[in-house]
This record gives sequence, structure tokens and C-alpha cells, in this order.
Amino acid sequence: MAKAKPAKTYQQLSDEFAELTAWFESDQVNLDEAVEKYEQAMELLAQMETFLKTAQNKLKRISVKFDET
Amino acid sequence: MQDLVLAPADFVALINQTLESAYPSVIIEGELTNFRVSKNRWVYFDLQDDQASVKFFGTVYNLPGPLEDGLKIRVTGLPRLHPRFGFSVNIVSIAAVGEGSIKKTAQLLAAKLEAEGLFDPARKRVLPPIPQTIGLITAANSAAYADFIKILNERWGGVEIRLADVYVQGAQAPSQLVKAIEHFSQLPAPPDVLVITRGGGSIEDLAAFSDERVVRAVAASRVPTLVAIGHEVDTSLAELAADQRASTPTNAAQIAVPNRSEVIAGLQAAGKSLGLSLAQNFQAALSDLAQGGEYLTAQVNLLLKNVQESLVSNRRLATLFDPHAALKRGYAIASKAETHVSSIKQVKLNDSLAVQLSDGKIDSKIIKITGGI
Repeated sequence: MAKAKPAKTYQQLSDEFAELTAWFESDQVNLDEAVEKYEQAMELLAQMETFLKTAQNKLKRISVKFDET
Repeated sequence: MQDLVLAPADFVALINQTLESAYPSVIIEGELTNFRVSKNRWVYFDLQDDQASVKFFGTVYNLPGPLEDGLKIRVTGLPRLHPRFGFSVNIVSIAAVGEGSIKKTAQLLAAKLEAEGLFDPARKRVLPPIPQTIGLITAANSAAYADFIKILNERWGGVEIRLADVYVQGAQAPSQLVKAIEHFSQLPAPPDVLVITRGGGSIEDLAAFSDERVVRAVAASRVPTLVAIGHEVDTSLAELAADQRASTPTNAAQIAVPNRSEVIAGLQAAGKSLGLSLAQNFQAALSDLAQGGEYLTAQVNLLLKNVQESLVSNRRLATLFDPHAALKRGYAIASKAETHVSSIKQVKLNDSLAVQLSDGKIDSKIIKITGGI
């Protein structure tokens, strides 16, 4: 059974979205690709928005004792 | 005990044993005099008041920064009798006491570190815009910690915060702060940013963040640093050495992470902009198509026009050569035995000649032939 892909970080999603935006801003936009890339961009936006609305910060107290010499 | 005879070394050992048991550690506050550093390593000075003077000994590693005679300082140390040099207190830590002395030691240290370039803006690194891990150095039971976490949670999610709970004031604070900074720097996977913070307090409370060891550790940190100490008006030397300073713990959280509601608004705007871009691309393609159609129509019309003009021209030409037109203008076509006659050489007297006029034909006979027109 194939392993599930690890969830992308917000930064990865953001980088992918930036790439797609740059593609749309370039001079040579192919219409067939444009529709596909637009759908990809909308999917990324949805994932990013979900992340922003649901992600929680995690606190880890480190166990090192700094008063030891 | 009265009759006990001891060798000098035994006496020294006995006194030290007694001192260690009775006074494992002492804190002495007084005016610094006879301060000197030998071989860039050994530190000697006296602390005095109106009635007494006590000798101290230690290393440069115990110093909070440059010192000079006349400063009021508090020294934590271990009283010892040296076998050759007599009584002194071995220094554990030193802190300036009183606003005047604290400010003076901070000025001396600031001048020294400034000259070394520790506060140089060119050294400053840019903090990551969206950190995934934050190393947080502060006191876990402090208001600064609570403020930082509260604002961080309000603004952003998905960050792993690794907390180093340390003293942020008092004699132990400098060494704990240094160890915590070094701990994060030495990790195989260090955090993306190091936040060092504490809330406001007296100048003595904040003194650890102007301690030379702490300031140097901040400057040497492998991880980019964001330091927020005290209130907006307070500036510690650690903040000057940091990659970025924040005015308060709350401000540190605001700098460390973006605001999620602003980012969501930005994403929604970006989505709309992308949709608009897609629509514009389609519009441009449609416009190209329309332009292509118009061009083709124009070309066809031009072709038709040329054909029409050609037809008119040919028609004119045909009219010009139409024999009926000439007959109507009064010309006639003469023919002999179905052959057109265009010269008198083709006929002779008494020949029958058919003459075609515009509206009929005359059969005639030649009775005279005259040359010329």
C-alpha cells in the first residue's frame, strides 16, 4: 500500500501559488494550460485558507537545564 | 584546639574548610577600587566602604563587561584563604548596582562592542517571513511569555514553539541566557528564529540583557534573533546586537509572524486577480479571433471589389468594341457574299453589296468606285 504524501507546509503551498501567479503574469499564456493552472491555483488557495483558519501552534518546553554548570 | 600546632598548609586548609562550611557563598556590595586585569585573563580588585576593603580575584569570564574604579558593584563569590597570597573572595558573578553604575557599565560596554562592530547594521539578518519553528527564551511564568504566546496564537498557527525557560533577572540570568542561546545555535535542526524577551522592570531587573556575555551570545547566534526587552523606552545592549529589535513582547509576536486575517484577505484578493487574469486571457483570445475575422472579411471584400471593377472595365471595353454601337452612330457594315468589305480593292462595278445598318439591311449594286475617304 502506498504511503500517504506528507502534508505540505504553508510555505510550500505559498511558493507553489506564487509560481502559478508568475505564470499568469508572463507574456505567453496558453489558454488550455491557463484553465488547468487556474484550477490548481484555486485549490492551493483553498488549502492555504484552511491552514490559516485551523492550524494551531505547538509548544514544546525543552528539557535542558540551563542552570547546570 | 589551643595546643594544636599546625603547618601553614594545614592551617590554610582548615580555614578554607571552615569558610566553605560557614559561608559557602557571600554577596558583597561596595565601591570598586584597584581594578586590574592581568595577562588578559586574571581579574583583581577591591571592594571598599568607609571602614573596610576586601580583595577579590577571578577571571575575565566572570565580568559582566568593562569595569572601572568608582563603580558600585555587587559581587557573589566564595571566600578563600590562598596559601601564598592571603585572603580574597573568588568571584562567581558581578553586577553593577544602582542606576548610575548600571548606566555607566552599559556605556563602557556599548562603546567597546560598538568599536568591535557588534551593532553594525550590515551584520543584521532578515528574519524569515513565516517561521515554522521559534526558539523562545524567556521566563515561563512571566507576563512577557503570556503576552507573546497570546498574540502569536491570535495572529498565526502551525508554528512549533520551543521554550527555554530561564531566569531573566538576577545573578543566574546571564549564564542561563547564554546557555539557552548556545543550545539553540548548536541544534542539528535549529529553529528558524530565536525570540528573547522579558517584560519591563527596573534598570537592575533588565541588567542581564546588557551583560557582555549575553550581548556577545546574541551577536554570535547562528539563528536569526529577535530581542524584545522591557517597555518601549528601554533599550538593552542585547537588542542592539540582535538582528531585529521589538519594543515589547507583544510587538515581538507581531514581528515574528504575519497576521492570518490580513493574509486571508490577501489570498482572496489574489484569487480574484487570478480569475480576472484568466478572463482577460480569454477576452484577448476572443479579440484576436474577432480581429482575424474582420481581416478576412476585409480581404474578401477587397477581392470582390477588384473583381467588380474588372467587370465594369471589361464591360466598357466590350461596349467600345460592340459593332451595334458603331451602327447606331451611323456607321455601316458592307459585305459581299457574306464577306466583310473594308477596301475598294475587294469590289468592282456592278457587284452586289449588302449594307448592314443599325435597324436593317440594304442590298445594293456598285455603280461607282472612288478612292480615298
